[in-house]
Amino acid sequence: MRNYFEEQLSKLNSELLLMGALCEDAISCAVKCLTESESKCKEGAFSAECEIDRKEREIEQLCMKLLVRQQPVATDFRTVTAALKMISDMERIGDQSRDIAEIADYVTSVGLQAEINISDMARAAVEMVTRSVNSFVKRDIDTAHSVAAMDDTVDALFLKIKGELIAAVKSGHENAEALVDLLMIAKYFERIGDHAENIAEWVVYAITGEHKNLIG
Amino acid sequence: MIKKIFRASFLTALLTLAVSIFFVFGILYQYFEGQLIDELKSKAEYISYAIESGALEKINDVDERITIIAPDGTVIADNKVNVAEMENHLERSEVKQALENGSGTSVRYSETLTEKIIYYAVRMSDGNIMRVSAKHYTVMTILLGLVQPILVVLLTAAILCFILSSRVSKNIVKPINSLDLDEPENNETYEELAPLLKKISRQKKVIGEQLQDAKRKQEEFRLITENMSEGFLVIDAERNVLTHNSAALKILGNSGENISDIFELNREKPFRETVENALSGEKAAGEIGLGERIYSVIANPVFENKKIIGAVIIILDVTERAHREQLRREFTANVSHELKTPLTSISGFAEMMMNGVSDDVAADFSRSIYDEAQRLIASVGDIIKLSELEENSARFERETVDLRELAENISKRLKFAADDKNVTITIIGNAQINGVRKILDEMIFNLCDNAIKYNKQNGTVEIILEKDSLTVRDTGIGIPESAQSRIFERFYRVDKGRSRAVGGTGLGLAIVKHGAICHNAEIRFKSEENECTEISVVFPEP
Repeated sequence: MRNYFEEQLSKLNSELLLMGALCEDAISCAVKCLTESESKCKEGAFSAECEIDRKEREIEQLCMKLLVRQQPVATDFRTVTAALKMISDMERIGDQSRDIAEIADYVTSVGLQAEINISDMARAAVEMVTRSVNSFVKRDIDTAHSVAAMDDTVDALFLKIKGELIAAVKSGHENAEALVDLLMIAKYFERIGDHAENIAEWVVYAITGEHKNLIG
Repeated sequence: MIKKIFRASFLTALLTLAVSIFFVFGILYQYFEGQLIDELKSKAEYISYAIESGALEKINDVDERITIIAPDGTVIADNKVNVAEMENHLERSEVKQALENGSGTSVRYSETLTEKIIYYAVRMSDGNIMRVSAKHYTVMTILLGLVQPILVVLLTAAILCFILSSRVSKNIVKPINSLDLDEPENNETYEELAPLLKKISRQKKVIGEQLQDAKRKQEEFRLITENMSEGFLVIDAERNVLTHNSAALKILGNSGENISDIFELNREKPFRETVENALSGEKAAGEIGLGERIYSVIANPVFENKKIIGAVIIILDVTERAHREQLRREFTANVSHELKTPLTSISGFAEMMMNGVSDDVAADFSRSIYDEAQRLIASVGDIIKLSELEENSARFERETVDLRELAENISKRLKFAADDKNVTITIIGNAQINGVRKILDEMIFNLCDNAIKYNKQNGTVEIILEKDSLTVRDTGIGIPESAQSRIFERFYRVDKGRSRAVGGTGLGLAIVKHGAICHNAEIRFKSEENECTEISVVFPEP
């Protein structure tokens, strides 16, 4: 009985890892869409998103089964509940990556500093997702904390981009549509950063049993 | 074993005890009966004497029951029972026997006394039968009488049995327990155990050999996998890592602690797809980039009874190969560019002339055709020179060459091109080396040609000759750092766009390189972008 439980737990672990990897795929495809505007990337982001949704269902069912049938306690219980919370954050990351890939088609170069900042932001967001998944894989609290620290950078970049775009609109930039799209993309990256931070928080919860805002 | 031996011996002892008690009782019973009858007989004789001597009245004082029966069976007297109530006793077996033989015994259950009774009858001298009877001791009565001593005996025996059996069983097992199984044949123990010990020793030997074999194989395997530079991983069907070598961990950048899922090592998409394809039963390969290096991942499924039980994964460093492939692609592109472009222009101009153009345009076109053809000839000439250098480097004749003379000659040849850009050529120093004049000429020519071509207006070119080295320094556009490692490649051009305007074949430095190889010389190179370029050929000391 216990053996079966251990097996299921390790399966949960593997599936979460896979879902994290899919998130990384989705977001890196989205970033590629933005920087290289390849149509293949867009499809990549879409298919990764579908896969992520499917994985979310699977992992959800697995968690429910574990909770109901095995009634885990202590660390095991925390692992399962943290997993349940993490998959919803991962699913959001997938959705937002898809949204970015979708918008990326309509964005034309506007020749602003904001674009460079967005690619910085994209890099930071990808790194955050990678680190949050790494912290889960290695059960490493330090890595989890570094994700929280990175979120500050991403937030600051977002504010900066926003200011630049507002200034561009005020000065009567001829391609206002692209500016709005850029703002949305920046917001999506900012949200992805938040979700990555959430994942890191749940990782810390699964390890220590304390859930709190890592920055707070 | 102790338990079993103990139980067996204890039970045996108890059983023996019980059986012997049973037999003892049987014998005792017999013995008592005989005793009783004897006693009764002697009593009967006494009593019959007493009666005959007229002491009949006294029979009432005797403990035993005495009955006197007439020969016709009628009871004459009885000291315990009322005579009138008694029936004719002629049919009683002891009476019958007594009438016939003078005496008789019988053991019977007496209805009158409701007890088992022994009778003894004697025929007295007056013909009457005198019968004495006594209560028979039953087994039960004897037993009841003996119950206390028997219990004591039984208890003592049982306790003794218990102690002895446990001792005995322990003693039997002790030598077996103290057997030295490491050296089974050196034991002093029961001879019945000898065949077993022999067998054990034989098997021990076999096991030892097999173990050694297995250990050696394992060690071999470990040595092989640890010393290969390729990463090696074995996973099961659940993607759990079963075996890994240190190269794999190094490549994937993991410390190797607590890995269960292989995706903990790497979760890039090509890696995942390769692993998953292998686990679905297909041979799979993919490429992943880690840092600046490129790795090829090859995964093979492992089957057992047609079922996939895992996969073997090998990770190869293919950075060099990928890099070479890139170079080859670029080389091919460059070659076709250098050779095809002039041909295309020639063909284009010729086609236009074919369609008819005015004379002055035609003159212009033929000038262009001539230029392009010259370019092509120069390219082909350079290619031929290169292949000559490569193939026949050993057959060139060596002589002492005055480099100064050579350099002056070349600067004259290049004067036209230098004047075009207002570049001054200065020759400093003097040197004589042992080499092939033709090749040295080519080398210096190409170096100077480049130095002029890639110079700025009003720049300078210095040819510095030292004892065994030749340096050409210019104040030109320089070479960007990213291209510095590749300028000696054939057809390589730093600026692809400008090459047409500047001319040249892209083979000049390749010729210099091969010339240097011919002379066992070393090429040193120094360049700053937009400042200067300095290329030295250092000849070996004679």
